[in-house]
Amino acid sequence: MPASHSHSPADLAVEVRDVRVSFDGQPVLRGVDLHIPRGQLVALIGPNGSGKTTLLRCLLGLQRVDTGEIKLLGESDVRAALPRVGYVPQRLALERSFVLSVREFLSLRLRRTRHWFWRPHRVIDRILSETLVEIGVEPMLDRPLAQLSGGQLQRVLIAFSLLGKPELLLLDEPTAGVDTPGEQTFYELIGEIHRRHQLTVLLVSHDLSMVYRHASWVYALNGVICCEGSPEQVMNTESLKAAYGIHVSPYHHHHVH
Amino acid sequence: MFTEPFMQRALLAALLLAPLCALLGVFVTARRLAFFSDTISHGALAGVALGFWWGLTDPTLPMVGFSLLVAVAVLWLKENTELLTDTILAVVLSGSVSFGIILLSLLKGYRGEIQRYLFGDILAVSPQDVAWTIALFVVVGVGILTRLSSLALLTASEEMAHVCGVPVQRLNYLFVLTLAMVVAMSIHLLGIILVTSLLVIPPAAARTLSRNFRQHITLSVLVGLVGGLGGIMLSYQIDAPCGPTIVLTCIAMFLLSLAAGWLRSRRNAAQAS
Repeated sequence: MPASHSHSPADLAVEVRDVRVSFDGQPVLRGVDLHIPRGQLVALIGPNGSGKTTLLRCLLGLQRVDTGEIKLLGESDVRAALPRVGYVPQRLALERSFVLSVREFLSLRLRRTRHWFWRPHRVIDRILSETLVEIGVEPMLDRPLAQLSGGQLQRVLIAFSLLGKPELLLLDEPTAGVDTPGEQTFYELIGEIHRRHQLTVLLVSHDLSMVYRHASWVYALNGVICCEGSPEQVMNTESLKAAYGIHVSPYHHHHVH
Repeated sequence: MFTEPFMQRALLAALLLAPLCALLGVFVTARRLAFFSDTISHGALAGVALGFWWGLTDPTLPMVGFSLLVAVAVLWLKENTELLTDTILAVVLSGSVSFGIILLSLLKGYRGEIQRYLFGDILAVSPQDVAWTIALFVVVGVGILTRLSSLALLTASEEMAHVCGVPVQRLNYLFVLTLAMVVAMSIHLLGIILVTSLLVIPPAAARTLSRNFRQHITLSVLVGLVGGLGGIMLSYQIDAPCGPTIVLTCIAMFLLSLAAGWLRSRRNAAQAS
């Protein structure tokens, strides 16, 4: 599937051109190009320190780029596109003293329920209900966010993002705190959401088996895009060696660090 | 007790400041800003000393000013250095306290009223302070209640708040400057040394009994209100400094909430088995 250069700019959900970022003179991104067509589930893989999270932060407008150009959903000003973007971080650093319930957290995403403090639960549940059932977070509504397991929290974060009816979903290593069976269920859920909602999904991951099963296109990053292509093309050991700088066999190992 | 003007002023100040501190305190504890508010309050000592140095009888203005300066200094150092927040706070706290003490030691004559600012004093609440407190209560109370959702989202994740359109940096600065002003104005009642307790103890007492954020905020404000008013009245009755009396009243409620929480978990365990 041709992902990059054969698409017109209007068909692209994410367009990154020659983006460079450095911290204290140390280059982290050294001229990254990325073209993600609308409706695709694209994986961004790379070893630790390869700049995956930095690139994602640039897409969200959380990190200034030194040079280069980023367009999200056709907007040159990333902030203008954010209302149409969903973001699922690796984890939330929540204090145990912060007793926000799942219902209250999800309510923060919608303008209609944002003033949850003054609204009865049943009204909020009615407004949220469709997404709650789809993602399976209904039984957790009364639980404090800080007490959820890694897998439960990721489901809640997905539900939070979907409530905003995004056109583009960005996920940053979403299974970092999830056990292996939970990982598989989670990726199946992502695949299902992608199909049902016709979303563009950019998934940052180091889980190569997931990439192979679910992604339609793969970018391998290590400061620059080392290779891109279909999972079959990128998953050959030579391409991965270029990205990871080590010898790996993706079909026998789930994780490459 | 309620007929004396100084007592009316102190009660009104407590009625306004205690719930305000308790409301802010929910976010202060969830965002680990307790040491930060301690630094702000100790910074106020330098403001009080400056006020005396300039010959002011009421040093409230330099006290609030210096607290704001300390808050801005901490934020600036956090954003422009690689230092850990704890290190920055310790440097600023010890620096401003030392500056204040040296300034006080250079003043001629005995300065007994500094005790008021260290431990709180019912008599220290002037009519101007009450006017400032009413203005602060209205502005901050309305500001916080209309931005509860943004603040809750900011506390959960700054990145997600940014994606949802919350102006993260502006809200962070506003929150910290608001905190500095409320802390500085509460010093009359609680004193520099104990003012942080009104930000920490009510949310801590409320946390044990809360299952969600709405309950946490409501209970925290209630504990602050009862602790503030009860403490002032008790301090009048037993002729004790009002700061420590308010704190001990809040701590009594904290202990009660711990006991209630323990009883509830025992009951739940018994029902489950």
